[in-house]
Amino acid sequence: MGIVLRYLDPGSGSILLQLLVAGLAAIGLALGTRWSRIKRFWGRKKNPAEAEENEEDDEE
Amino acid sequence: MMKSSRLGASFRDPSGFLFRCKDVLFRQVNQSYAAEYNQLMESGLYTRLVETGRLVPFVESDQPPAEEKTAFKVLRPEQVPFISYPYEWSFGQWKDAALATLAIQKQALKFGMTLKDASAYNIQFFHGKAALIDTLSFARYQDGQPWVAYRQFCQHFLAPLALMAYRDVRLGQLLRIHIDGVPLDLASSLLPGRTRWIPGLVVHLHLHARAQKRYSEVSLAEARSDRTMSRQAMLGVIENLRATIRRMEWKPTGTEWSEYYLGTNYSTAAFEHKQRLVGEWLAEIKPGLVWDLGANTGVFSRIAAEAGSFTVAFDLDPGAVEQSYRAGKLAKEQNYLPLLLDLTNPSPAIGWHNRERDAFLERGPADLVLGLALVHHLAIRNNVPLPQMAAFFADCGEWLIVEFVPKSDSQVGRLLRSREDIFPDYTRAGFEAAFGALFEVAQVSKVVDSERWLYLMKKKEEL
Repeated sequence: MGIVLRYLDPGSGSILLQLLVAGLAAIGLALGTRWSRIKRFWGRKKNPAEAEENEEDDEE
Repeated sequence: MMKSSRLGASFRDPSGFLFRCKDVLFRQVNQSYAAEYNQLMESGLYTRLVETGRLVPFVESDQPPAEEKTAFKVLRPEQVPFISYPYEWSFGQWKDAALATLAIQKQALKFGMTLKDASAYNIQFFHGKAALIDTLSFARYQDGQPWVAYRQFCQHFLAPLALMAYRDVRLGQLLRIHIDGVPLDLASSLLPGRTRWIPGLVVHLHLHARAQKRYSEVSLAEARSDRTMSRQAMLGVIENLRATIRRMEWKPTGTEWSEYYLGTNYSTAAFEHKQRLVGEWLAEIKPGLVWDLGANTGVFSRIAAEAGSFTVAFDLDPGAVEQSYRAGKLAKEQNYLPLLLDLTNPSPAIGWHNRERDAFLERGPADLVLGLALVHHLAIRNNVPLPQMAAFFADCGEWLIVEFVPKSDSQVGRLLRSREDIFPDYTRAGFEAAFGALFEVAQVSKVVDSERWLYLMKKKEEL
């Protein structure tokens, strides 16, 4: 970690917890993505609020 | 040379700081942040965030830096009309601020950067939308690195939102005491048992609190050893935080005021007359900044906002503020900001040297203050004598539109029903004498079909 990052104390426990759940989180994300693909395949529409936010944050 | 003064809140991050010169706000970027600053600008991240309204834009300025030796650049950010703090936000505002922070982090990762802090104080409402104000929050993302701002995000956003949604909406006020967010062990012990069935809260809050306690003596190097966290895992954590927060709901029901306009004692004619008078007087004064004190759900504030004044609608009731925020968001109001404030105990100055977060009055004065259906509450509920009330309003702003509701009005009657009438001076003559000492009355009108009086006043010159 560079010096710029270190002005904020990230907390040893907080870092450890992240590293511990990292694997699960990655799997969760992969499953989530797949699940939304399945939903899209079956033509389930997202609710409008969600759609709007995703439009802002996800589209590239 | 003009004197530049560094802002009291701006000292934690060595990457730079804010300073003021001739009432204009500047940000000095230090040399130590040069590489990150260049990456932010050149990668396209800055443009992307500004386009989506997630970052308050700035221009590079030729203003001389406040501290020459360390300086890399001086920026002039676009001005945020009113700085608000998390303990003044309604649940929905806080939730939007949290989601904005996560959206920014996600976006940053796409451009090879990461948020190095996730402070709720770095989010402000700008053109009606939660936006980041701190240009120096971005760092270069290195593959394998965990999110350094994770702890801060959980303390500033996840914990207070969970407490508000699952325990009591008033617990947002904990941020007034804990400036770096709600300690996770405290949040964990206050949350009801059913939150242990919500996976996101189990991990990011309950287990997080235990990990903090258990590993408090472990050094950061030991904690990391050679473990890494893939980019995919970081995105997973962010996505999980987002899903957990999105699921949180708070509905403004049962609070005292949110149904106020349904239960008012005056007729439609009186209400419309009051709206017309306020509209006319606002058109005459054309104030830049309006504070509506005791705004309820903001019916009158929005008259001011629609007439072009930036209007802050303060109210005591979380339900009213929530409704007000939702209505403003729906109407895509650009210059309207509802906030939670108890006028009998307004936000104090907090933090280091009492200079990190300004008190309510330090963020003024407003050009015009609205005090509608307010005076009788302050006088009779809170026993504020009329001269002290006039002095408070005089500190708030230059112009004042204020309503006097006499004892003969049924609303005042209702307030007096449960207590002894110890207010012999609470009369129209008493009101005019008290306010007349500090203000010139420019206009006065009786509201038709009611016993209420509306005044337009201007603060006396010599004050």
